Amino acid sequence: MIKLEHIFKWYNIGGTRSFVIKDINLEIEQGDFISIMGPSGSGKSTLLNIIGLLDEPSEGHYYFMGEDVLALKPKKRITLFQSHIGYVFQSYHLIDELTVYENIETPLIYKNLSGKERKAIVGDMLDRFGIVGKKDLFPAQLSGGQQQIVGIARALAASPKLLLADEPTGNLNSKQGEEIMALFKQLNEEGMTIIQVTHSEKNAEYGKRVINLLDGQVK
Amino acid sequence: MIKNYFKIAFRNLAKNRMFSLLNIVGLSFGLAGFMFIATYVVDELSYDRFQTNADRIVRLNTHIHMGESKLDMARTSDMMGPILRDEYTEVEDYTRLYISSGAKLVKNGNRWIKEARVAHTDSSFFRLFSYQRLHGNLHHALAAPNTVVLSRSAAERYFNTTDVVGRTLETNDAGNTVYQITAVIEDMPKNSHFNYDFLFAMENAPYENWGALLSHNFTTYILLRDPTDRTLLTSHLDEYVHKHCLPAAKQFMDISSMEEFRTQGNVFYYDITPIRDIHLHSNLMGELQPNGNIQYVYIFSAISLFILLIACVNFINLATARSASRAKDVGVHKLLGSSRSGVAGHFLTESLLLSFGGICLAIVIVITALPLFNDLSGKTFMIYDLINRKSLPFIGLLTLFVGLIAGYYPAAYLSSFRPLQVIKSRSVITSGKSFFRSSLVIFQFAISIILIVGTFIITTQLQYIQHKKIGYERDNILLVSDYHVLGDQARAFRDEVLNLSGIKMGTVSGYLPVSSSSRNDNPYSKETVMSTRNSVSMQTWYVDDQYLPTFDLELTVGRNFSSSRLADSTSVILNETAVKHFEFGSEKEAIGKKIYFQLDKNMMAYDVIGVVKDFNFESLRDPVTPLGFFLGNHPVEAAFKIETADIPTLLARMENSWNKFAPGYAFSYRFMDDAFDNMYRAERRISRLSLTFAALATGIACLGLFGLAAFMAEQRSKEIGVRKVLGSSVVGIVVMLCRDFVKLVLIALLIAAPISWWGMNKWLEDFTYRIEISWWIFVLTGLIATVIALFTVSTQAIRAARTNPVDSLRNE
Repeated sequence: MIKLEHIFKWYNIGGTRSFVIKDINLEIEQGDFISIMGPSGSGKSTLLNIIGLLDEPSEGHYYFMGEDVLALKPKKRITLFQSHIGYVFQSYHLIDELTVYENIETPLIYKNLSGKERKAIVGDMLDRFGIVGKKDLFPAQLSGGQQQIVGIARALAASPKLLLADEPTGNLNSKQGEEIMALFKQLNEEGMTIIQVTHSEKNAEYGKRVINLLDGQVK
Repeated sequence: MIKNYFKIAFRNLAKNRMFSLLNIVGLSFGLAGFMFIATYVVDELSYDRFQTNADRIVRLNTHIHMGESKLDMARTSDMMGPILRDEYTEVEDYTRLYISSGAKLVKNGNRWIKEARVAHTDSSFFRLFSYQRLHGNLHHALAAPNTVVLSRSAAERYFNTTDVVGRTLETNDAGNTVYQITAVIEDMPKNSHFNYDFLFAMENAPYENWGALLSHNFTTYILLRDPTDRTLLTSHLDEYVHKHCLPAAKQFMDISSMEEFRTQGNVFYYDITPIRDIHLHSNLMGELQPNGNIQYVYIFSAISLFILLIACVNFINLATARSASRAKDVGVHKLLGSSRSGVAGHFLTESLLLSFGGICLAIVIVITALPLFNDLSGKTFMIYDLINRKSLPFIGLLTLFVGLIAGYYPAAYLSSFRPLQVIKSRSVITSGKSFFRSSLVIFQFAISIILIVGTFIITTQLQYIQHKKIGYERDNILLVSDYHVLGDQARAFRDEVLNLSGIKMGTVSGYLPVSSSSRNDNPYSKETVMSTRNSVSMQTWYVDDQYLPTFDLELTVGRNFSSSRLADSTSVILNETAVKHFEFGSEKEAIGKKIYFQLDKNMMAYDVIGVVKDFNFESLRDPVTPLGFFLGNHPVEAAFKIETADIPTLLARMENSWNKFAPGYAFSYRFMDDAFDNMYRAERRISRLSLTFAALATGIACLGLFGLAAFMAEQRSKEIGVRKVLGSSVVGIVVMLCRDFVKLVLIALLIAAPISWWGMNKWLEDFTYRIEISWWIFVLTGLIATVIALFTVSTQAIRAARTNPVDSLRNE
């Protein structure tokens, strides 16, 4: 599904190259559940962003479902991203002005789905994550764990093939974190490919494979 | 999708109430100002366009410049219209208006009512001008003598009905004349350069010089066969001068040809003004009513546009200032699949909603402030004139336009955020583009400062006019109007009034030192043969021997008239300017000299017996011109010098004796200082308008500054916290926060000062007597702007500086 070849990412600081990612080669199969670990500054998030098409590598090749992503035009890349990747954030990034229901609905609006289809999908999501009773609440009225569940529901609403999560439990207490991880595991068992960045050994164990990064390189 | 836009925009606005309120209030004032000015401008531009023949009707003007005397008049002789029609084929028809003294007394029951909106006109009037007929036949309405056409309101005033054709009206002209009403028309539209309630037949005009080609007393309109004939007619006007005016001039002047006349630096020609241009582009002597001024139309349009822009700038500034807090939303929306234009749509929807809120509040403001605006502009608009079926689409467009103008930049700027920037970091997004924002604040304050400087200078000039020593006494002078109706009783009335306690002295004359009263310009020379070279065009004022003392006019040499000296009827008292123009040398040398005046075939000679110090008998816009006082009778008004604290009682007593000597006629009076102030009504209006505009612009700019300061303080809360932990005092923080804003105001002052200096000098050039623009005006304006800005900003700065640093730092 994903194939990274000799990926480099650097910044020019005062004339010298400061490497964030150094020569990473990685292959990820459909249905995988990968945990990227490493200390702060090891390049975990940058790698995730490159995989999520939010950032471009300075050098290297990236194939996503057989397509040479870096050769695509920006517009095509966005379409690819929209239809195949869902993103979950450490700080949830829900839209404060929208209710739970509307937050989950938003990506569907952008996909130009009809009102009826949207209603069905959102209803399905609310059901699946057990938040039907909270659909008319605003993010500020929810606990962190509940917000993250909404975030995941929103990411999955557009039925992506790949779920990217950047420290999804970073802002949660351990009990909430466990719930989220259990949810991930369940999703993976249902066939979803998941890549998560995490600090926690415990969370990493939920994945099928752990990639340890140090100074931009796979250890 | 659209529903989603509105939902998010609405909730966003509701969440940021202060931001929304600042914007809506600012926009509403800007929009209300714009709606008012737009109505005013549309009205000004609409003058005389309702005339069906508007593109074919022109008015004739006369220009005669001889020596110091320059006559540019909207009047011609009675002969010009008929001659042009008979001799030139492009002239299809003509009509004339004759306005004698500007008012007539009309009898209603047994009371005489003073009617000011009266004119004599030809029966062709209704062939040129289009008015709605209510009763009678307009084509023949004024063909016979002793006929009159009434407006609806005049008919209703006198008869309580409009169906009055065949009934009669009595007026005071030429021994009482009875007129038969032959037609009634709808009231003339307000947006016309003339407006009459009574149109009398031309044959009854109280005019004595019929046929005199060089007496210019009629307003003449020409109906051209084709709008393009204007140039042809203009070229024929010169021919008219040669063929008709020159022979007439030769009869009493030493003049051989127009060429010679012109080489001596003199000017004599006629030209035309299309009637649609009269209101805004013509400002000659003898206009039928005070006209507008295209300059003011331009200036007001510009100012209202600027005020609207200032309000839009508020939105732009506040929206970009909040970009840090909005960045997250932008990022998330983009991550969820929104395109850039989709994100831009969010912001445009927000600004459109604000604009809509603004227009709703603006309409409320317009409705409440309409009386104030009418007072300021001198118009009589109704709500319906501003908000009607025709204007609503424009108001809608305006809302849309303002929403797009205000929303465009924030939408373009904010939608350019890349999602990664948001995901990656919590605080990388600074509220960038502060240079752009600063420029906008500078723009806002520059406009405000220009308006404040303008207000200062206009007010100072008005103060100067009001307090300038103009050379005569204008306080405590009471003027009694319509003095001529007393007839033979004039002297008896005057003597009785002079005996009242509280009256010091009095004089009877129509010639008063305010520009609305009688004027009489005649050529004099100090030699018996008059030529264009030695003639002095001089005001000829007939006064009695009490005129100089009543008005406290100062004689520099010589003596006043004395009723006991018979010879004084051929004496003259000159002002200093006249002495200069006659080139008598000094004032002393002038005494005993003679000046001559050609009256019909006789040469009249007058002895100079005194010289008065120059006084401003016209508005201070104009210089003092030559003036001569002659002993004579001109019973139009009487001026009484009063000395009493109890003016009402005095007035009641005067009215008593008036009613005794002139029964049936209303006693009408005014005060000299009011008459004087009336000359500067236009200036006072401009002064009040500029004050209003300046306050509006500054107020709206301050709303924006207030919001900006609030966001700056919020954004720098962490910095403020750190500084306080490091030991900075509250004052230190406040100074730090205010400094940047004050700097902007000072830059605005630097930009605005030269612009306003230049503009106001242009305005002052209209006045012969004017103030110098001094540096303190700019210093004071700068100070005011700075204080206002500081006051606005410091409330926010102090609040920010006083917060406990722990609160702002804990947030991290």
